[in-house]
Amino acid sequence: MIELENVTVYYPKAAEPAVKNINLSLEAGEFVCVLGPSGAGKSTMIRTINALQPVSEGTVRVQGESLASMSEAQRRSWRSRTGMIFQHFHLIPRLTVQQNILTGLFGKRSSFVNFAGIFTHAEKKKAREVMAEVGLSQMADRRVESLSGGQKQRVGVARALMQEPDVFLGDEPVASLDPGTARAVFHLLKEVHHKQHLLSLVNVHDVTLAKTFATRVVGLSNGEIIYDGPPAELGEENLETIYGKAIHA
Amino acid sequence: MNWFKKRAWIYVLLLVFFSWWSMGKTEFEWSNFKEFSNAVTFIREQFFPASWEVIPALIDPVLVTLAIAFLGTFFALLIALPFSFAAAKNTAANPLLYYVVRFFLSILRSIPEIVFGLIFVVVLGLGPFPAVFAILLHNIGVLGKLISELVEAADPGPQEAMKSVGAGRRLGNLFSIVPQIWPNVLSHYFYRFEVAIRTSLILGFIGGGGIGQKLINDFNSFNYAAVTVEVMLIMLLVIIVDLFGAFVRKRVI
Repeated sequence: MIELENVTVYYPKAAEPAVKNINLSLEAGEFVCVLGPSGAGKSTMIRTINALQPVSEGTVRVQGESLASMSEAQRRSWRSRTGMIFQHFHLIPRLTVQQNILTGLFGKRSSFVNFAGIFTHAEKKKAREVMAEVGLSQMADRRVESLSGGQKQRVGVARALMQEPDVFLGDEPVASLDPGTARAVFHLLKEVHHKQHLLSLVNVHDVTLAKTFATRVVGLSNGEIIYDGPPAELGEENLETIYGKAIHA
Repeated sequence: MNWFKKRAWIYVLLLVFFSWWSMGKTEFEWSNFKEFSNAVTFIREQFFPASWEVIPALIDPVLVTLAIAFLGTFFALLIALPFSFAAAKNTAANPLLYYVVRFFLSILRSIPEIVFGLIFVVVLGLGPFPAVFAILLHNIGVLGKLISELVEAADPGPQEAMKSVGAGRRLGNLFSIVPQIWPNVLSHYFYRFEVAIRTSLILGFIGGGGIGQKLINDFNSFNYAAVTVEVMLIMLLVIIVDLFGAFVRKRVI
C-alpha cells in the first residue's frame, strides 16, 4: 500500500540527513510502532508519508503512485485519506470539540462550503457518531482548551476518524500524556484500527506500549532503520542498538 | 542589568546629549513652567460654567463623529484582514507578494490621517466623507501591520493539522489562525476605533465635519463654555467605546 524507497531527508543547513536510505513497505491491517530516541528521524519519516515533509532523495509511493509526481490537488486528496494525530494535539483553540472534529472533513469538500462553514445534517450526524466512538458525546459544545490532555487527544483521534482514513499516522500521540491515559489512547487507536482495517503507523517512546499493541516494530537510530520485525522478536540487544546503553540507565 | 559596563555609561551620555539637543531645538525652557498657572486660571475663568444648553445641537455632530470613526476603522479592518495574511511570513503566497504588501502597508501607515484629510477635503469637498476615507486608508496600514504580526506569532500546530486533513492553504490559514488571533484582533480594532474618534476631531478642524468642526468653530469664536461641553462629550464617547470594546472582548474570549 505504501512504499518508502531509499528515502533520505535533509533539513536546510543540517550537515547530516534526518533520515537516510529508508526502505519500508507497509500494508493495510498492520499496526506499526516506530521506536527510536529523540532525533532518530521518527517524525520526519512519518511525515514523508502524507507529504508534510518533502523527501530530498528517494521515493514515497502510495498504491504504486509516487507522491512527488502527484499534483498539489492529488496530494491534498491523499492527505484527506490520511488521518494524522500529533503529540501536541494541534487542535484549533476557541473552537468546540464538534467544530474541531468537523474540520476533518475539509479535505473532502468544496472550498466554498468549507469557507462558508456549512455542514450538512449527515456530516453533523457522522461527527456525533465519531464523538460517541471516542467517548466524547457529552462534550460536543465544550471548547477544546478546557479539556484534559487525554480528552484533547481523543478529539485529535476523532478529527482523524472524521476523514474516514485509509491510513492512521501518529506522531508521538501519547508522549505528553500520563501512562494510564497513554494506554487508554492506544486502546482506542487499536480498536479503531481493527474496526476500520486501517494501516496504522505510530511513533512512540514507550517500548512496552509498542510491544503490547504493535503487529510490527520499526526501530530507528540516527536516521536509519536498524530493526524491522515483529514485537515478540524485539530483544534487549535490539533495544540497545536502537537506544544505546542509556536504555538500561 | 549591568550598570558597570563602560558601554552603559556611553548610552547614558548619549541620551543626556540627545535630550539637551532636543530641548534646544524645541525651545524647552524650565522657566516656562511657571506660566502653567495662567492656563489653570484661563480654564477656570473661561471654560466654566459649561453651556449645557448646547447639548441638543451637539447630538448630531457627536453621532457623525462616531459614524466617521466606526466606518473608517471597520472598513479598514475588513480590508486589512486579507492584506495581513499576505504580509505575514508564514502565510504569504510568495516572498515577492510579502514584500510588496508590507511596503504598501508601510506607506499607508506613514501618511498621517491629517495629510489624507487635507487631500480628500480638496478632492471630495468638505464634510465627513473625506474624514472616513482618511481614517480608512491610514488604518488599513496600521491594522494590516498589527494583524500580520499576530498571524506570524500564531501557533503553527493547527495550521499543520489543517494541512494534514487535506485543506487548501487559504482555508487552512483561515480556520487555524483566525480563531487564535481573534481576541487580539478585536483588541487592536477597538483601540484603533478609540483613536479614530480622537482623529476625527482633528479632521473636523480641517472641514471633516462632526464634533471636531463644532469644537474648532466654538474655540475660534471664543465660545469656551461650549468647548467644555464638547470636550466632555468626546470623553464620554471614548469611554463608551472603551467599555463596549471590553464587553465584546470578554464575550469573545
